[in-house]
Amino acid sequence: MLARLWWIVHKDLTCEWRTRRAWPAMLLLGLVVAMVFSLGTDLPADQKRQVLGSLLWLAIFFAGMIAMDRSFAAEREEGCWDGLVLYPVSPAAIYLAKLAANALALAALEAVIIPVFAVLAGVSLAGSPWALVLVAVLGNLGIAALGTLVSALGAGLRHGAATLTVLALPLATPVVIAAAEATRLASEGSLDASWARWVQLLAAFAVIFVTAGAVLFEYVIEE
Amino acid sequence: MGDRTIPLQARRLTKTFGNRTVLCGLDLAVAEGQSIALTGSNGAGKTTLLRCLAGLVRPTDGQVLWLGQPAAAKPSTRRLVGMAAHETLLYPSLSPRENLVFAARMHGMPRPAERAEELIAGAGLLVHADRPCGRLSRGMRQKVAVLRALVHDPPIVLLDEPFSGVDAEGTAWLMRVLEDLRARGRAICFATHDYQAAAALADRVLHLRAGKLEEIDLAGALPAPAPARAQAA
Repeated sequence: MLARLWWIVHKDLTCEWRTRRAWPAMLLLGLVVAMVFSLGTDLPADQKRQVLGSLLWLAIFFAGMIAMDRSFAAEREEGCWDGLVLYPVSPAAIYLAKLAANALALAALEAVIIPVFAVLAGVSLAGSPWALVLVAVLGNLGIAALGTLVSALGAGLRHGAATLTVLALPLATPVVIAAAEATRLASEGSLDASWARWVQLLAAFAVIFVTAGAVLFEYVIEE
Repeated sequence: MGDRTIPLQARRLTKTFGNRTVLCGLDLAVAEGQSIALTGSNGAGKTTLLRCLAGLVRPTDGQVLWLGQPAAAKPSTRRLVGMAAHETLLYPSLSPRENLVFAARMHGMPRPAERAEELIAGAGLLVHADRPCGRLSRGMRQKVAVLRALVHDPPIVLLDEPFSGVDAEGTAWLMRVLEDLRARGRAICFATHDYQAAAALADRVLHLRAGKLEEIDLAGALPAPAPARAQAA
């Protein structure tokens, strides 16, 4: 199963590399939010630091939704989704493969916009880089797991992208809040019990969404 | 459990979409080496029937059996079926070779690259093997779509309008492929509007009307020649 899972991820990355239909739009949105945050808000440095996490994770969420929606829209072209379902692979494996490809897209986004946000906000990330990486990984997993499930649901609908965001935003709100707070505390160097609780919450949501996605994907893709 | 010697069976198959009944308790059996042509007007439900037979759509009632087992009961049973749908199921940015290698890998074939090469060469597509499928003609894409369905040499082959968009040379190739499959004992079910192809390739021609299948006499399946204009006038 692992080999097939890898070949689906490989196929998704190859198709994205050739068509560039999702990642550039996603990166552009993330950078635009970062620029607006920097140039459009006239806040003192300490207040910018306060709102850094919230804006960063909202940018990651919305940009990630674009990538996930487009990845499933591409799968619907020429009936490719039916082709995928016809292979002797469990729906859970297809879900995990799509999740992995979407998580890689989000990781690429985070690798670009977290440093950009930090530079524009005048925040140093050098103090606790491992803490930020942990928050990024768990937040990434939670958003990608939820987004993959919901975008599969929205892919069969006429207004899939709008449906996706409307459905995903309320469900993703706890992840965005927890990631924003954990990022703010990490950027301030406050790796205390409060930070640990936010990280535990992020981990719990990641586990819940990945498990729910793997279990429910079969019903989501059924006609 | 059903008869394990019959590759494909549908029992009392019913499919409704809202208030509309597309398939109405129909029965079908396709034996080894048998080829069945499905005909019917546009919207009669041929594609829905093939999708039910492929396990892509869950029937509202009744069941589909592959070699006596409920269709798609386990992911591994999907190896029993190969389907070429009305859409090609091919990734437009991948070449025919990449699409076939991907399909072979997903079916767990031991030497996917060699299998893809063998199929591409057999279809005379070597020159176009590395061009993205999105840039190939409809006829070439249709050939690759059929190869994708056959990459794992399944015992059950389902084809939805395989002759659409295919030129004379492609039609001849496809007829040879179907005849070879039939000779090797594969159970074939294909939807078509081409009565001549149906008469040439099928052991039985079944016409789908109002959700039911009606057997058509092969000789009578060929439409009568149109009357000359002068005579009609």
